[in-house]
Amino acid sequence: MTRRLKTTAQLLAMACVAGLLALLVWSVVHQQHAPGVGSTAPPFTLPRLEGPGTVSLASYRGKPVVLNFWASWCEPCKSEAAVLERDWTSYKNRGVVFLGVDYHDLNSEARRFVSAHALTFPMLADGSGSVTGRYGISQVPETYVLNRQGQVVAHLRGPITDPGFAGEFQSAIAKAVA
Amino acid sequence: MLRFAAVVVAGLVFAGQAAACAHPRTSLNYLQGQVMCPTCHTTLDMSDSQAAQQIKGFIAKRIAACWTAKQIESALVANYGQGILAAPSHKGFDLLAWWLPIVGVLAGALVLAFGVWRWSGRKGPGGPDDPAESGLDEETERRLDDLLARFD
Repeated sequence: MTRRLKTTAQLLAMACVAGLLALLVWSVVHQQHAPGVGSTAPPFTLPRLEGPGTVSLASYRGKPVVLNFWASWCEPCKSEAAVLERDWTSYKNRGVVFLGVDYHDLNSEARRFVSAHALTFPMLADGSGSVTGRYGISQVPETYVLNRQGQVVAHLRGPITDPGFAGEFQSAIAKAVA
Repeated sequence: MLRFAAVVVAGLVFAGQAAACAHPRTSLNYLQGQVMCPTCHTTLDMSDSQAAQQIKGFIAKRIAACWTAKQIESALVANYGQGILAAPSHKGFDLLAWWLPIVGVLAGALVLAFGVWRWSGRKGPGGPDDPAESGLDEETERRLDDLLARFD
């Protein structure tokens, strides 16, 4: 009886350790990484920041997409906003889609930001950060350029106005359009 | 710093209005411990990030407008999702987070109690003087007692 009890306790302890190990392996395997250049951008559907309804990335398949992650509390996003709007205005006639994804932000503040900077491209709300997590966003602003097949052409970590990205944003769009 | 000053000023500006609340007012201090900073994954009182400052400002304004803690938390959950709250909800899968520690402590106490009971039971009521525990048969025990009696 005692021996059986001891064996059961040992088996239970081993099962607990195995369970914890399995959890550790699962979390390591499912860690979220930014999709690399050439890989397919993770699909998502998000609610519009302004107005009802949702927008799905899949609905833009066949068009080049500029995916800009931002927040109203982000200082560099302010300086970038005017440049993004200018580029959106010049590229939209060539079929390029610009999508803004507002990250970990109060919707009311985000709407105020959009209005203050007169941004006219579609804006989506990701308050919980579930989509931004799948894109490995660790800071804002960050911008992805996707080609017509939905593959990543470029990933710019920081404002597109950063001198380090001089020409990189434009050439990525040119590559995505081609 | 400027943002923090703005939060304080907003609190003061609405203080007069808040005095007229029909129910006891909640406090910024209380809610800062209940709400998470979404970018730094600590509670608001532990964070000074821009995202945290924005939420603190939102809370201060709502407190001044006589919102209850529940109403403010609900508004934040609607905007950021359940993850904005430091404590999990009391329903569905989240219940596990509340019950598992209790079950763990109870299981530990049971194992401990069982171990103590086994340990004390093995020692026996008579301790090492109990013949049954000495491992000697009765005859040997008697002879040993006689032998020891000679030395008394």
